[in-house]
Amino acid sequence: MARTHLGTRIRENRKSKNLSQKDLASLAGISASYLNLIEHNRRSIAGKTLIALAKGLGIDAQTLSEGMDTSLIDRVKRSGLKMRGFAIETDRSAEFAARFPGFARLIARLQDQVDQQEQQLTALADQMHHDPFFAEAMHLMLSNITTIRSTAEILANETDVPIDVARRFMDNLRDEANRLSTTVSDVLEHFEPSSETQSMTQGTLSFEALLEQNNHFLTDLEYKTTSADALIENTDGDSADRDKLRASINSYVDMAHRLPIDPFMEQAKQVGYDPLVLAQMLNTDISSICFRLAHMPTDADVPKFGLLQCDGSGAVLYRKQLSTFNLPRFGGACALWPVYRCMSQTGQPVSAFLDMPTGERFYTFSISYPVAPPQIGMPAQNESIMLFTANYELLANANFAALPQLAVGLQCTVCPRPNCTARRDAYLLGKS
Amino acid sequence: MAKSVTIIEDEPFIVEALTFLLEREGLRVSSFNDGEGSVAFIQKTRPDLVILDLMLPNISGMKILEDIRSNETLADLPVLMLTAKGQKKDRAAAETAGASLFMTKPFANSELVASVLNLLKS
Repeated sequence: MARTHLGTRIRENRKSKNLSQKDLASLAGISASYLNLIEHNRRSIAGKTLIALAKGLGIDAQTLSEGMDTSLIDRVKRSGLKMRGFAIETDRSAEFAARFPGFARLIARLQDQVDQQEQQLTALADQMHHDPFFAEAMHLMLSNITTIRSTAEILANETDVPIDVARRFMDNLRDEANRLSTTVSDVLEHFEPSSETQSMTQGTLSFEALLEQNNHFLTDLEYKTTSADALIENTDGDSADRDKLRASINSYVDMAHRLPIDPFMEQAKQVGYDPLVLAQMLNTDISSICFRLAHMPTDADVPKFGLLQCDGSGAVLYRKQLSTFNLPRFGGACALWPVYRCMSQTGQPVSAFLDMPTGERFYTFSISYPVAPPQIGMPAQNESIMLFTANYELLANANFAALPQLAVGLQCTVCPRPNCTARRDAYLLGKS
Repeated sequence: MAKSVTIIEDEPFIVEALTFLLEREGLRVSSFNDGEGSVAFIQKTRPDLVILDLMLPNISGMKILEDIRSNETLADLPVLMLTAKGQKKDRAAAETAGASLFMTKPFANSELVASVLNLLKS
């Protein structure tokens, strides 16, 4: 591959300098026929000949030999392949990159930007899909529209609606239209860019998107069929974003290395996925066990765990949500969740059932643990973690019946529970 | 005796419109606005058909459908499920759980009434 590109590059450089083969051959001290073979990629060159030709062309030998960037060609080619419906000569990508390196770099750069934006859109669409406020608002708007449509159809199509019923339906229409406009305003306000969402980095988005796309189990990293570097290679963004992505991927690799998935799955099944027993059995910390449990292959007889990790202020450090249990990215979650309660008793695990307003029930295991050594005069630095699952029938816990059952919500703005002592925001969608 | 329909739906104006439409067809209509207690209500009212909303407070429509199907005395009761458009997963799950028919919101009145009458005939 490299030899082919080098010959083509020499030819293109020579042509761009208006040199004949004879001229360049003479400058490099080789025969014109030998140069012809080199330019047609029938002879490989290195050493003195390469240096002489580079000198004859007035360019650096290293640039000439290494300048043909295969990743550039691949990106140009990929860009062509993605544009279906156009007869693009993708088989001539190498030639194009050699003849027009500036344009090739431009195309590659534009393609990178398109890829990055696609990734971002996927992550944002996913975020919207999991946004509990948005899901609730959509449901409410559809209910509003259903009422308006049904009521309007009755008024428009039925000829003998009693006058008092017609009046009531008119009132219903007005009230429902008002509710609809309020909901739409709430949705618009909710999606107004905030400083929080603006500060969200591409690195965080990329890793969350990567995990979502792979059902939170990165097979290639688990079985070392790819490296962290290879995964990061195609990700755009500034260096801070890439560093963040690299750190996230490296911690995943570390987890996969310390707790290899196949033996872990067997051991976890044996002990009914009990984090405390597993931590003792594998002589490791409880948070690592929780992370490992939240990143296992999807299988019918394996419980699907979600995970929330917070720092001492309640800020979200890491989250893995379930399709039925959405986690807000920036605090604002239900204050009754045990992940917050356990912060007051470091090292004391808390198990509880959470009952959602929708009727769904989740088993949770939460614990708070120190993240920095204690220092006199300094407050303790703790984090806490909450593991949760709806598949609690697959767990081994003889004391399920004795566990507290907490009536909670996701966050106040989408929680219709009346008279909640932990409420700090109003239920935005006005159903109560 | 007129056939009866029970509507399990938490939106009162939808209930009002549906009640109006179905009563005009000569049906007796009762309604319940919460997921919790809805199965007991159905057992008490013994309707010929249930219109069940998927998204209800406290207990989801899907769980109620499962409870209906696992209850010997209600297992054959026709159930028309209502849900929001695009919830393909819910639709598939409801079909598996034994919904007789599935309609998406917003619906046309004529279609809903025709579906109810067809289910009652069969």
